[in-house]
Amino acid sequence: MKTIFLVDDSATILLSISNILSKAGYATEKAGNAEEALKRFNAGVKVDLLITDLNMPGMNGIELIKEVRKLPAYKFMPILFLTTESQQSRKLEAKAAGASGWIVKPATADELLNTIKLVVR
Amino acid sequence: MDELTSVFVQESREQLAEMEAGLLRLEQDPHDADNINAIFRAAHTIKGASGVIECGFIESFTHKVENILDKLRNGEISVSGPLATLLLECCDHMGRLIDVLEAQQAQPPEDVSNQGEALQVRLTDFLSATEAPPAEEPGAMPIEHESPVEISGGGVVITDGWHISVRFGPNVLRGGMDPLSFLRYLASLGEILGMETIPDSMPEAEEMDPESCYLGFEIHFQTRASKADIERVFDFVQDECELRILPPNSKISEYLKHIEELPEDNMRLGEMLVRCGALTQAELDEALRQQAALTNNEDAGITEGDATEGHQAPQLGEILVEQKVVQKTLVDAAVGKQAQVTEKKAKESRMIRVQADKLDQLIDLVGELVIAGASTNLLANRSGQTELVEATSILSRLVEDIRDSALQLRMVQIGETFNRFHRVVRDVSKELEKNIELQISGGETELDKSVVEKIGDPLMHLVRNALDHGIEPAAVRMATGKPVQGHVALNAYHDSGSIVIEVSDDGGGLKKERILAKAIEKGLIQQGYNLSDQEIVNLIFEPGFSTMEKVSNLSGRGVGMDVVRRNIQSLRGTVDVTTQEGIGSTFTIRLPLTLAIIDGFLVSVEQASYVIPLDTVVECIELNDQPDNKHYLNLRGEVLPFLRLREIFGIEGEIPFRENVVVVQFAGQKAGIVVDQLMGEFQTVIKPLGNIFKHLRGIGGSTILGSGEVALILDVQALVQHCANQEENRKRNAGHATRLLESR
Repeated sequence: MKTIFLVDDSATILLSISNILSKAGYATEKAGNAEEALKRFNAGVKVDLLITDLNMPGMNGIELIKEVRKLPAYKFMPILFLTTESQQSRKLEAKAAGASGWIVKPATADELLNTIKLVVR
Repeated sequence: MDELTSVFVQESREQLAEMEAGLLRLEQDPHDADNINAIFRAAHTIKGASGVIECGFIESFTHKVENILDKLRNGEISVSGPLATLLLECCDHMGRLIDVLEAQQAQPPEDVSNQGEALQVRLTDFLSATEAPPAEEPGAMPIEHESPVEISGGGVVITDGWHISVRFGPNVLRGGMDPLSFLRYLASLGEILGMETIPDSMPEAEEMDPESCYLGFEIHFQTRASKADIERVFDFVQDECELRILPPNSKISEYLKHIEELPEDNMRLGEMLVRCGALTQAELDEALRQQAALTNNEDAGITEGDATEGHQAPQLGEILVEQKVVQKTLVDAAVGKQAQVTEKKAKESRMIRVQADKLDQLIDLVGELVIAGASTNLLANRSGQTELVEATSILSRLVEDIRDSALQLRMVQIGETFNRFHRVVRDVSKELEKNIELQISGGETELDKSVVEKIGDPLMHLVRNALDHGIEPAAVRMATGKPVQGHVALNAYHDSGSIVIEVSDDGGGLKKERILAKAIEKGLIQQGYNLSDQEIVNLIFEPGFSTMEKVSNLSGRGVGMDVVRRNIQSLRGTVDVTTQEGIGSTFTIRLPLTLAIIDGFLVSVEQASYVIPLDTVVECIELNDQPDNKHYLNLRGEVLPFLRLREIFGIEGEIPFRENVVVVQFAGQKAGIVVDQLMGEFQTVIKPLGNIFKHLRGIGGSTILGSGEVALILDVQALVQHCANQEENRKRNAGHATRLLESR
């Protein structure tokens, strides 16, 4: 079973996504902010995919992606970010920070799972 | 008829005219693909529109025509004389069907539908002829050799499937992306028929970075997904990989069809290709970026001063083809569509359709304005206030400008009328087995719409005459050393306030002796009468004159040249002919630019004013010592019958000491009109008389003078006729009186 780490400051989103993922047969790890998530990565949490929001109070998603990518263990881990802006600049920034791809909110369950399938074996 | 139908009728007539023109051109140049497309498009539009208005009989017939045009367009059949003739007949039939629709009949009458069936049978014959073994005809449509689209490092697309060529960038793995997952995901969209891994960029083992990706793939892929869907698979690695997605061949024709069906908006090339699915937005953006970069380089080059002059920034289409993103056929099709749309748009934006009666109303109002302006002027002059006079004179100058512009609105080019004769000349020359070419010039010359409408018949007569009697049979032409092909020319130009239309031919010319002999035989002139050559040839316009012994079914339908002259005269125009025996003849029609305004000659009897059209006035003389009962006078040795307006219109009052005679001429006949006073030339707006005055003889219309008075415009033709009759009666009565005397 693949494990997916979810980071979002909105509890609703965390819950709705994790529900979809559980039904599709994924295990989930959750964090309500970037600092907590980074702590867990530093501790070496075993995950196959990180999905993070970009706009969060405190450390934002882009900084989180940068920090996680710096850790050797997560060099090749796929990272997806959630974004409402289809703005190219934001995407490019996140891509440059080390993200693999993105999910545009609001996404249907199918869109979400299809995108995950694209990056997780 | 509802509006939609009337729009359809109008539009279809236009399309039909275009179709006909195209078919005629087709005979000249059977390989003009643009022309064939235009013909097809016209038929296609009519069919489509008839479907929309649910007119089944037009739709089904046009569908058959469209089928054969489609074959023609695809080069499956080639242009031949009989086919062109058949298609022209189909055009005529479609015209008849439109007439049926316009007449608001639910179904065409039996004879029309029988004709339609006969044509359909002939169309089917042509269609089935093509199903025979497709022998490669020489001169069939040349097939442009399309160089296969290559893929960098790969082979050539052979089978009918998508070809995806992808080169992953070195950083893909480090970004958390696994090339394999893309391929797996791709497989979920369709079926990967074949795949080749391209390890070309893989370095030697010692230089290889295990964290970098060096792989590329050539994938042969079958799917029902669109190009955009396929591209979306690689969305996340778009910036880091090179991606080419080539559609299967079947897809290309689909794209072409899409391009054809795109709405006629002003679309950019890239936009069109994206809309039809041949190009994805990302590919377009990339190409545009390249174009911008290249253009910038150009600019930089120019500032450095070493740029070649006239070197343009590369076209988007060129970039796309060069990058092997889109096939050239697709770019060409899109460019073609673009040109077609722009052309149509340009045409539409240049033209506004206005109902003719609205224009007439405007002209009418402008006429009123001219009259009102004139009376204001008169009052201002009478008041003697200089400032007021100045102001009104500026006003009246503006009114004159407005009048001219308004009249200009009614002007249409004569070209359309001329173009109708291509068909006439073609059909008639086939029938007569003569080889005749029609040359048209001056088609852009403009004249009043109502004149254009009425000049068609006289022109037709003259052209048919030229074809039938003018141009000699080929054998005769050869014998006289002329080229076998005869020429009939239509020409139009402006000449000092009137328009001149010439119908000329390089045929045998008119034979003066025969005309003279005929005229004497018919009693038109007396033996021994001395006539100039010019007068002799113009005898052909006299009533009851026709030199052709044998009546052919083309001209000589009992309608002589006198009718032509009468028709033209009713437009206040003239016609005459110049000819040179053995070299040809030229008929010259001279028409006023407009029927709404004339130059008149103002006269008065007692208090009433009358306008005599100036072009009929020959001279004015004083009437001296004329006994009341005589109705003719001696004009330099010639008998001139005259009439007194006073008598004809029953005007009472004292006959003034001095009376004047206006000598007028119409259709070669002279007559005098006796009036009290001559008041000079006067440009006037003709206002037609109401229906209740229709039966009045001698009055052709009315106009309003500057003073606000009404002046009647005299119908000179009727008055001259009246004079002639009066003269006849007088002669007869005189004879009667003599006999009475004798019997006493």
